[in-house]
Amino acid sequence: MRATDLRPTVVVAGFGSEYRLDDGVGPLVASLVAKRCAMVRDIGPLADPLDLLGNWNGAALAIVVDAVRSGARPGTVSHFEIDVRLDDGLDVPSQHERGVTSTHGIGLEGVLRLASVIDQAPHRLMLVGIEGASFGNGVGLSPAVQVAVPGAVQLVVDLIAEVT
Amino acid sequence: MTHGTSGARTVHVEGIARVEGEGSLRVQIHNGRVTDVALEIFEPPRFFEALLVGRHFSEAPDITARICGICPVAYQMSACAAMEDAFGVHVDDRITSLRRLLYCGEWIQSHALHIHLLHAPDFLGCQDAVQLAEIDRSSVERGLDIKRTGNLVMATVGGRAIHPVNVRVGGFYSAPSPRSIAALVEPLRRARQDALETVAWVAGFDYPDIERDYRMVALRDERRYAIEGGRPATSDGRQMSTSTFADEVVEEHVARSTALHARLDGRHYLTGPLARFSINRDRLTPLAGAAADDAGLGPRCTNPFQSIIVRAVELVDACDEALALAESYVPPDEPAAEVRARRAVGTGASEAPRGLLFHRYEIDDDGMIVSARIVPPTSQNQLVIEDDLREVAQHGIDLDDGQLQLRCEQAVRNHDPCISCAAHFLDVSVART
Repeated sequence: MRATDLRPTVVVAGFGSEYRLDDGVGPLVASLVAKRCAMVRDIGPLADPLDLLGNWNGAALAIVVDAVRSGARPGTVSHFEIDVRLDDGLDVPSQHERGVTSTHGIGLEGVLRLASVIDQAPHRLMLVGIEGASFGNGVGLSPAVQVAVPGAVQLVVDLIAEVT
Repeated sequence: MTHGTSGARTVHVEGIARVEGEGSLRVQIHNGRVTDVALEIFEPPRFFEALLVGRHFSEAPDITARICGICPVAYQMSACAAMEDAFGVHVDDRITSLRRLLYCGEWIQSHALHIHLLHAPDFLGCQDAVQLAEIDRSSVERGLDIKRTGNLVMATVGGRAIHPVNVRVGGFYSAPSPRSIAALVEPLRRARQDALETVAWVAGFDYPDIERDYRMVALRDERRYAIEGGRPATSDGRQMSTSTFADEVVEEHVARSTALHARLDGRHYLTGPLARFSINRDRLTPLAGAAADDAGLGPRCTNPFQSIIVRAVELVDACDEALALAESYVPPDEPAAEVRARRAVGTGASEAPRGLLFHRYEIDDDGMIVSARIVPPTSQNQLVIEDDLREVAQHGIDLDDGQLQLRCEQAVRNHDPCISCAAHFLDVSVART
């Protein structure tokens, strides 16, 4: 293993861009969690899952926070845990199944597989999604998503408390 | 997927891994001869050039950066160069050096990613980087470490690793502190050593014995390996100004592609690492030049499969250059030169990791963009990729369908197409009759 830096036991990464309206909610929630919990390291904002590598190393818990579009009511906060052993794969459509591939992008599942092979996977991995309403150009969250932020932060704080 | 009927065979693959987007590749073979090759691109056009019209000139670096997540600096630098050309802005050497450092960061992260995670698996019988890590963990880790250093350079100079926010026409919004740049020195020193190991690693791969008669185009700088600037030059000795190049490159739309096809003097041409290396080998840093020697590269490289070696040599060059720039960093007196807009036309070009990236803008009296033209590397290379496929398929005609399909996929990946910049690419089918 080449990366030998000591890491905090909990890392939170918010994915998204603050310049795409609700897409900025992930980084915002992650930064607010890090302010409340001294033991948490905020490694975002990120746009490329590959950048998780090198930041997960040694983490007891890794949390990824991202805006989602599932058809739920905007502001809905959901979460689930990914089995880091990936015995059954992620229960999400692959890039191919979603009709997209990328020369330069490796999705979360690929990153987790790669991290497992090189012993950098976190012991536990949680995903937290906040349903977005608008992903156009601009700064600021839609009202429904803005209202959901405190609850999302509390959820992440509670998840951390459960694990650590 | 293979379909067989009497007298005809079709190999069809959905979703080539490590190749971007939405399109297809069709190879027709008849009586043992490749009769037709078509790169069919059906990615919807992205209309960036139209989006720019009516926007203020100062927005161009940030808007065009969004064309690509892997080479945003290239778009920013070409846009800045074009605007500064239009307005007659002189950028001092310290700002130029800082731009080069930022651009080296992009090269480092882009090349490290492509070499170690996307291209190397082809040569080692692996489906992807995960399989590669299972058999050669240290090489994958080395690649990730190098990429991380590239990201660090971009975040330090550009404000963040993807879509940097510190670039403006005339220079930067703020100059990094000497302390923050000094913190790059040790990581860059390690990355440079790692890059040398990567050159040795890829030089040991087995390569198909194919040489292509490319006409190559790359920027050439008087003093150093062209990255953030230079003048367009061809492998047959022609040199042009950027504005001349703009006039002479003719783009045309073809039915099978939503990306334009580019020609110079009526002929297609190759841009990218092979072209840069072949035109600028004498401009590599001594360390990178020696690495090229050790890897067995001659004065030019025309085997497309060996583009991975050239990228590794360029990785050494970028790390070496970035290290020298970081060690000698002195902040500019002002982070940006003064820019006064006027009615004008400007052109700018730089070397994106995948090749020459050209911008041209027409600006009105109020500094608003009247017209924009952007020619990305991948659209320039599309016809060459088709030619490569024709040659590679013919060369491998005796391979079974699975092997031939893999060889064709490799032929595409040799050019590291960034199809989000130009178009997207997906399916391969080989039809034999």
